[in-house]
Amino acid sequence: MQQLLTTVLTGVTLGVVYAAFALALVLIWRATRIVNFAQAPMAMITTYIALVLIDAGYSYWLGFAAALLSGLVLGAVVERFVVRFVSGKSEINAVILTLGLFIVLHALAAIVFGSRYRSFPAPFGLRGFQIGDTTIALTGFGVFTVVAVAVVMVGLVLLFRGTDLGLRMRASAFNQEVSRLLGVKVGRMLTLGWALAALVGSLSGLLIAGGGLVHPSYMDGVVVYGFVAAVLGGLDSPVGAVVGGLLLGLSLSLVSGYVGSELVPLAALVILMAVLLLKPGGLFASVRERRV
Amino acid sequence: MKRWYTGTALLLAMAVTATACGAGGRPEGEEKGSTVGITDTTIKIGAHFPLTGVAAPGYSEIPSGHQAYYDYVNANGGVNGRKIEFVVKDDGYNPTNTSQVTNELVLNDEIFAMVGGLGTPTHSAVVDYLNDAKVPDLFVSSGSLQWGDWPKEKPFTFGWQPDYEIEGKIIGDWVAKNMPDAKVGLFLQDDDFGRDGEKGARRYLDSQIVAVAKYTPGNTDVAPQIAQLQAAGVDLVLGFNVPSYTALSQLVSLKIGFKPKWFYSNVGSDPALVGSLLARFSEGAVTDSASLLNGVMSTEYLPGMDAPDDPWMKLWQKVWDEHGADGELTNYRVYGMSQAYTFVQALQAAGQDPTREGIVEAIEKSGASFEGPGIAPFRYTGDSHLGISGMSVVEIQNGIGEDLTPVLVTDLGDTPIKEDDSAAGDAPPSNGIPDVKPAE
Repeated sequence: MQQLLTTVLTGVTLGVVYAAFALALVLIWRATRIVNFAQAPMAMITTYIALVLIDAGYSYWLGFAAALLSGLVLGAVVERFVVRFVSGKSEINAVILTLGLFIVLHALAAIVFGSRYRSFPAPFGLRGFQIGDTTIALTGFGVFTVVAVAVVMVGLVLLFRGTDLGLRMRASAFNQEVSRLLGVKVGRMLTLGWALAALVGSLSGLLIAGGGLVHPSYMDGVVVYGFVAAVLGGLDSPVGAVVGGLLLGLSLSLVSGYVGSELVPLAALVILMAVLLLKPGGLFASVRERRV
Repeated sequence: MKRWYTGTALLLAMAVTATACGAGGRPEGEEKGSTVGITDTTIKIGAHFPLTGVAAPGYSEIPSGHQAYYDYVNANGGVNGRKIEFVVKDDGYNPTNTSQVTNELVLNDEIFAMVGGLGTPTHSAVVDYLNDAKVPDLFVSSGSLQWGDWPKEKPFTFGWQPDYEIEGKIIGDWVAKNMPDAKVGLFLQDDDFGRDGEKGARRYLDSQIVAVAKYTPGNTDVAPQIAQLQAAGVDLVLGFNVPSYTALSQLVSLKIGFKPKWFYSNVGSDPALVGSLLARFSEGAVTDSASLLNGVMSTEYLPGMDAPDDPWMKLWQKVWDEHGADGELTNYRVYGMSQAYTFVQALQAAGQDPTREGIVEAIEKSGASFEGPGIAPFRYTGDSHLGISGMSVVEIQNGIGEDLTPVLVTDLGDTPIKEDDSAAGDAPPSNGIPDVKPAE
């Protein structure tokens, strides 16, 4: 019983992080029809920025804020000065570009921050809560993880559904030409979209690092699982991304605990294939056919 | 017509190649063997190590130990007048990269021998290639059995550290005798490392093992595995895992309130490395990271940082102070220097004019009598290319391994375990450079 509880709870906590990462992918996909594979190393870089500040003696929360802020800036910079140059060409150019960025950022981080494992602190306890005699696998940091992702998701929904800015961002994603004619500054909206996405990505990086070990490739698994989660949810829907992340985290944790940890990546691929074969639009796709 | 033409061209090409090989392949004469990588003043060797990536913590320091010792030997005249050049390539612990960098080392850098190539999955990818190319593949940094249990198949490959099976046997035997009531759970890396260790441990401990959890390297979420052990009521965990997973397993156990006794195999137990990873998470409970692993049991086969007064450690400290790179001496650098010491012995045993075939023969003939830092003798013969034959069980207290047993020596299969301190007293020569006579 306790084994099931532990497996489920760690699955949920991990799933929430995948969800945050999938959200970041979905944001960029909605704005530009690009899957940003460089999201993982971007989040890794911002996490290292937080770690450098914390190691220098500043508080965890200052590092946390600095990481989110630098995520915002990094996202904007990458869009404006890298991805912008291939806009208007085939999307595949931009995707390959993000793969290239992935490798460049990786190597850069290894040079600047070193490639050894380093421990990353957590602001809350790492001991599970006690209920009676048993300790359950939910820590203060785990609760924080869930709350943080929920807040971000609600914030994004409010932004896109309830504000003028959100409407303009959606419009420029949907049809750049028409939006421009209507006076929307499409370029700025795209930059903002990337910045927001990178901020959410940095959050997932911080959440998965907290109370664990970081090294330049610690996010590499997350980009794969985050991508599967996003596809599971339909790539287009923030809610779908969150549900997809949770489902994936839970099923992978159960596979690892009851079938075998060597099958985890295989299970993720099987899920990905099943979704693409049976429901190519994902579980939550709002628009059925809008392929270019 | 066209087919006929292609066929002839092919034949012609083959003939030309054959002639070229016959004429230029062995300038030194057939019977002496290959001398690739050797000149009158230098000998070039190489290795693949994970300098980046998941396996880099700790392991990336091993080549700096090698380099420091070779620099020391070179500064003292080299071996038979030849300076040792050591080329290290980063494979990131990824077997695909290992194949590529090994190709570069053999074909491009033209190394005489591979010395200390690290890792079971990585080295498995190149071991057949090295043997086909007849490149000596000395002292693999891994305790897998495959480097030495069947030398007819891999005549150029030699192991170095105690293999995981004898380590499993020694651990299993000790637990069966000293903790007969323990409910034992195994925490295993899902490859040769875990498998060989489990095989050895089961020989003595089969009836006490109640659960087996395997993790896949790279998947850092080990909560489901630790939960399996907890659910089975395990109160002693034997871990055959790498250091980062020692830290991860400790972290998860803290999270789910799992408090067994821990027994990590030598590979995963470096107190300095694991302690530094865990220190941040101790919630102020301890101030010095060394005491985090207090009460954890492990094994040792080399004198390490916890024994600064050992004569070998004094030598390594001197070598590191004179020729080391940046940073402090660590157990991983000691490991590298100890391996380098064995290589220098092998090179001396191969005589004034070493060849690839000659050095293999020399180790088979006189390797078992090499005196080095290892606390148990090597097992090298024509029938076994396995390395150090034993270790002692220790309990870690404040970062120091305190001996629970004398040196225990054994071999594969049902070879009994016996006490043997004969090699533990070996002291280094005063100039720090071995003096092995050429093998007859």
